[in-house]
Amino acid sequence: MSEERQEQGTPLQSRLLQIGIGIGGALVFPIIAILLSFVIGAVIVLITGNNPLAAYLALIEGAFGSAEDFGRTLVYTTPLIFTGLAVAVAFRAGLFNIGGEGQLYIGAITAAWLGVSLGGLGLVAIPLALAGCLVTGFMWGSIPGFLKAYFGAHEVITTIMLNFIGINLAYYLAQHPLRQSGPIPGTESIPYGARLPLLGLSLGRANFGILIALLAALVLYLLLWRTGLGFRIRAVGLSPGAAEYAGMGIGTNTVLALAIGGSFAALGGGVEVMGVYGNMDVPFVANLGFNGIGVALLGRNHPAGVVLGALLFGGLTSGAQEMQFATDVPLQLASVLLAVILLLVTATKLVEFIIGKRARALAGVHLEKGLGG
Amino acid sequence: MAESEAGTGVAGATAPVVLEMRGVTKRFGEVTANDHISIELRRGEIHGLLGENGAGKSTLMKILYGLYSPDEGEVFVDGERAEIRDPKDAVSRGIGMVHQHFTLIPRLTVAENIVLGAEPRKGFSLDLDGAVRATEELSERYGLHVDPRARVANLSVGVQQRVEILKALYREARILVLDEPTAVLTPQETEDLFGTLKELVGDGLSIILITHKLGELIGVGDRITIIRDGKVVGTVDASSTDEGALARLMVGRDVLLRVEKTDVKVGEPRLAAENLVVHANTGVTAVDGVSFEVRGGEILGIAGLDGNGQTELAEALAGVRRVESGHVRLDGEDVTSWGADARQQRGLAYVPEDRGSKGLVQDFSLYENNALKTYDERPFSRFGWIFPKVMRRRAAENLRAYDVRPADPDARAGSLSGGNQQKAILARELSGDPGVIIAAQPTRGVDVGAIEFIHRRLLEQRSESKAILLISLELEEIRSLSDRILVMYAGRIAGELGPDATDEEIGLLMAGRGAEKSA
Repeated sequence: MSEERQEQGTPLQSRLLQIGIGIGGALVFPIIAILLSFVIGAVIVLITGNNPLAAYLALIEGAFGSAEDFGRTLVYTTPLIFTGLAVAVAFRAGLFNIGGEGQLYIGAITAAWLGVSLGGLGLVAIPLALAGCLVTGFMWGSIPGFLKAYFGAHEVITTIMLNFIGINLAYYLAQHPLRQSGPIPGTESIPYGARLPLLGLSLGRANFGILIALLAALVLYLLLWRTGLGFRIRAVGLSPGAAEYAGMGIGTNTVLALAIGGSFAALGGGVEVMGVYGNMDVPFVANLGFNGIGVALLGRNHPAGVVLGALLFGGLTSGAQEMQFATDVPLQLASVLLAVILLLVTATKLVEFIIGKRARALAGVHLEKGLGG
Repeated sequence: MAESEAGTGVAGATAPVVLEMRGVTKRFGEVTANDHISIELRRGEIHGLLGENGAGKSTLMKILYGLYSPDEGEVFVDGERAEIRDPKDAVSRGIGMVHQHFTLIPRLTVAENIVLGAEPRKGFSLDLDGAVRATEELSERYGLHVDPRARVANLSVGVQQRVEILKALYREARILVLDEPTAVLTPQETEDLFGTLKELVGDGLSIILITHKLGELIGVGDRITIIRDGKVVGTVDASSTDEGALARLMVGRDVLLRVEKTDVKVGEPRLAAENLVVHANTGVTAVDGVSFEVRGGEILGIAGLDGNGQTELAEALAGVRRVESGHVRLDGEDVTSWGADARQQRGLAYVPEDRGSKGLVQDFSLYENNALKTYDERPFSRFGWIFPKVMRRRAAENLRAYDVRPADPDARAGSLSGGNQQKAILARELSGDPGVIIAAQPTRGVDVGAIEFIHRRLLEQRSESKAILLISLELEEIRSLSDRILVMYAGRIAGELGPDATDEEIGLLMAGRGAEKSA
């Protein structure tokens, strides 16, 4: 029963060992979930009378087979990194941010508006418009924070409800004050000079948005682990009681974590408009915000994990189109695979049962925590 | 296995063995909680099971009660091999368990609680009169007086414990296991309990008494089995041992049970409460007009049974609970409206009683916990950035100085034992050179070795003219450390005593009977 753990070796060795176990443990679980889901997916493909191996090869080929395919994967990955980060930062503070969808739309309409009105400035318009997204996202995201901190309204409910308001507010603005002259509902297009440039390198449509997304992940990492604010957010998330006793304001940190999450998702909407579409159409691309929840879940709410999770989501989405061309397997298989992966990641006990005790010991805390990572 | 010969001299040595656990081993992953433990219980014996927290006592008893299954080893009841798979098996073998945390339903009556799960029936309905009759009979037979129709919620803790014992007896227990039964009792109630236990063994019952308090067993036990790190280190005859010898067996080295106190010149009042009124979470008044001063170089002890307002008092003083009326002063300055961090910066250290959820962030590393209150101050932080390297270095020093094991700043706080967690909190709180220290239950659930260490550190602070408020449920601790003792009862100060007050004097105040006596 003695819970004392006697560390062997020098502090450095033991630290490296801990980091190794930490990374290994963090990866074991999602990887097993992914492999299992591919097995289950194979069964489904077999039932539909197709060859699973051919389907998977086409899927991987479609996602990573050529520079152009990879470029398309990056285009799908980019917004998911932002919305994944939006969920992750809130989760680190012990909060569920289900409002990524609405926050992304707020960002998209902000970028569409600023991109057009500042379009004459050329490239200078880009940072200005994206900064605008950060501001509107921050304000929008702080609303559920205030409702939670001062009125006790649960953030799950309020963020879901704010999705409806955010989406429809953005649609209203896109169709009325900001509507373009023409039959298609949507905003004016941002001049090409004020859009995010393509990456080139024969990566097809991949643009600088992916670099901004990676930068955002790095920023979140530094924020969480290298600033006092991040220290508070993590303390509040892991133990509100201890954080309060240490004199950290729970309310302030709740507002800030949700507001920062709002900024990330809104930035994702802005990058989508300025990098991919050039304007905000009605309807606009759907479900990026909701998929961010899955990305964060898969990435264990760690910025690096979010990037990997988003790449998996993006790769599956991108590869599925190619798979549908090449084989008779419908593109929906990708959605099924994603859903199974998430189910397995959530149902920790099930995977624990399947993979047995040894792997469980390796995964250690991560399994115990389930969502918590 | 490690059975010593000491047991053979006991009066009841010829009595038949009613329970034997032989070579019981239980592993949890890498940890061996019980390592070939053998223990035997004779008919009519009170057998003490002594060990520090985490030594493996509870695991062993959970195996006996069918809550865990052993990896190795056997259990014999009345000489017959018993396969105990669940508590039902245990009960049918005549084993009864009184848990540390009661399992009574507060809204039901005593009789209803006692028969719960084995209710007498009349046709399809409950025979409540039968339950009352059965309860009366039992309490008559064993001299355990209770009112069968009283609601459990209205009973004192001591009486609730009696109900728990009756519950086991109603199920015809012949072997009774009591897990830390005195933890919640006043000295008088403890004495009553031991009287009852002696009567029960007189009637032929056999009792296993689990405790980590050394002195307790010497008065009541026949034999005492000591467990350390999951192994039996000896079984001794209670009449031929003393506290020092038991402590040595329990900890594995010599332990100073009572640390020496030096004379310290008492200085100015540093912490003061003036007519403090504080509410509990439920909105009920928990602290009801409490006033006192703690001076530099002085330890003021606050004694009292759990739940008499001590927790809320400590929280209000530390700034994490709202003060309804009255004032808190730090070095003469009114800090009533200040937050916890402002008070901390002003030199107030606070060791909260709920170490697990309030004192530490379990999933933070030790270095992060060490900086939990100062992460935003130099040298840990500048311009909003924090410097984990500096935190780690400072933590390593602190952990070594306070003998925290492992002294690894990257270890997760939650992986440490209770004693080491508490030392880590102490390291954080005391390293900032505070002027005032509030220590709430600083040694609860902490092993003897760590208790000695913590007591020394508190006395050290006292010699440095710090003002220390010590809140504890352990009378022995209050008495050995305090210069003055206040007893809290129902949110008020029931009286003030000196450190040489007797158990009885303190006990009466703890039970709220001080006023009656003086009136």
